[in-house]
Amino acid sequence: MKTYISEQNLNTLLDTLIAEGKRVVAPRMNAGTPLYEPLASADELVTDQLPKRSGKEAFFPLCEDIMSYEKEGQKVSITDIDPARFPETVLVGVRSCDAAAIPVLDAVFSWDYKDEFFLERRKKTTVVGLACTMADDACFCTAVGLSPAETRGSDLFLTPVEGGGYSCETCSEKGEALVKSYTALFAEACSSKALPLAEPQTEKIDLQKVKGWLDNHFEDPAWDSIATRCVGCGACAFVCPVCHCFDIVDEGTEKSGKRRKNWDACGFWKFTHHASGHNPRDQQPKRYRNRIMHKFKYYDDKFGETLCTGCGRCIRLCPVGIDIAGIVEEISKK
Amino acid sequence: MSDHTNKNIYLPYLTTVEEVIDETPDVRTLKLVFQDEKVRENFSFRAGQFAEYSAFGAGESTFCIASSPTRAGFIECCFRSVGRVTEELRRLEVGDSLGVRGPYGNSFPIEDFFGKNLVFVAGGIALPPLRTLIWNCLDWRDKFGDITIVYGARTESDLVYKRELMDWQERADVRLVKTVDPGGNGPEWDGRVGFVPTILEEAAPGAENTIALVCGPPIMIKFTLPVLEKLGFTDEQVYTTLENRMKCGLGKCGRCNVGNVYVCKDGPVFTAQQVKAMPMEF
Repeated sequence: MKTYISEQNLNTLLDTLIAEGKRVVAPRMNAGTPLYEPLASADELVTDQLPKRSGKEAFFPLCEDIMSYEKEGQKVSITDIDPARFPETVLVGVRSCDAAAIPVLDAVFSWDYKDEFFLERRKKTTVVGLACTMADDACFCTAVGLSPAETRGSDLFLTPVEGGGYSCETCSEKGEALVKSYTALFAEACSSKALPLAEPQTEKIDLQKVKGWLDNHFEDPAWDSIATRCVGCGACAFVCPVCHCFDIVDEGTEKSGKRRKNWDACGFWKFTHHASGHNPRDQQPKRYRNRIMHKFKYYDDKFGETLCTGCGRCIRLCPVGIDIAGIVEEISKK
Repeated sequence: MSDHTNKNIYLPYLTTVEEVIDETPDVRTLKLVFQDEKVRENFSFRAGQFAEYSAFGAGESTFCIASSPTRAGFIECCFRSVGRVTEELRRLEVGDSLGVRGPYGNSFPIEDFFGKNLVFVAGGIALPPLRTLIWNCLDWRDKFGDITIVYGARTESDLVYKRELMDWQERADVRLVKTVDPGGNGPEWDGRVGFVPTILEEAAPGAENTIALVCGPPIMIKFTLPVLEKLGFTDEQVYTTLENRMKCGLGKCGRCNVGNVYVCKDGPVFTAQQVKAMPMEF
């Protein structure tokens, strides 16, 4: 179903949702940096900048409590986290690359054991995607088979149109429910043309060819040159919309504290370091190889798709200029 | 695998330390009893599975369940104090509380071993993952043929489960070959002297209708597999368990993979054939 919403009505929608006590997460400026964060009011919404971090934090926060413990003598009591603490959320203005990442994460957190922390938030969140109008030279969504108009992962998808406002495409029942609940704010689909969308300057990469090479080249001299620059800072994993590795740690005192799930990164030397001192990935190139392997082979082996949506953040942020799109493209030509 | 009754998959069961046994100067066994009566009655696992053990305030550590599934009502873990969590676990005394999540991972396909001879080959602290299976098999003794255990450590004092070694030595239905590395024997030592692969070769268990179960440090495994091959074992007849640093144990946190194999979900039990197909990253 297609409808139309004006900019003013979108603001009214967001303010209404906030007034109803829902969490509205959208790109906003935080000390000069655009980030997906809860809005205090619709005025804060920023649609003309690419958020520096991805939208995954709405479901998978950087740090989160998974239980708490208290000790009294020899007895310990543990307290579960109440899932009711996860608020009804509307995630708005999500770029195609970030929205497409959400179903990719669904697979990890729902196969076999169900991670309720992710899945409860997911259940309670409606994703309003936004067609992307501003690629920079790090963007490569089109190289990995997505596009600025990709609706995957969105419940409702907004495309800015000439003359202002957005054409709205309903992509799921959740999206339909949102439109129905605030039907007065939506108009019939308009005939205005969509604004020109972003055009990332990248060629489509043959990901099956990439995987084919990775299948047979765990050991290859190329890895040393590919990964030799990596300093293991982990920034790429932290800004990545689909990286999902985490650590579990206790934070507190001997008497009481919390157990937390914190983001982690396969680029860190300690990630696979055994207590005995043995480390299966004892050198940085081995750790970077794992990053490429996980994204373009292992994840595909397990879940049948690539663990990369081409958002380009890791390229923008890498302190030593590692260009994953370039690496993968090169592999595809081997 | 028993159902995890908690919706929160990261929530441990509480257990009480019932017994503390020092195996070596730095290796300790904890016997644990589930505090919740229902869990105590319903907790079940298979030999080879592992768990996440938590010392609250320090965090979680991954070890196999070292006791036999045939002995109900408790579980045992065995660990060397080498890190923050294990140092903290070592401080626990009888009556203290400890968290356990699990059981996780696959297990030894014990039913496939019925009617066969078994050769257990272990080195040092790596006996616990086999000891669970050894007792499982001894408790079902009539289902198996000959049982041989080749176990070695650096020194006499580094041997774990010393009381059980004596027990196995005395049993007529078990052949125990125990050894220490050259120089690791005291004046009273009644076992062999030599590295595990060498002693295994001398013990020369027949490969026909036999399963070999190998667990030890990477260097021991590396030299043991060719010996087994020489003795006539095929890679399908040889099982081992792998370990890697883990956090969740549930196939989410992303660190225990060897290539595209998750040790926590696809393992920790693998055949030598499976291990040889993996990239050398463990």
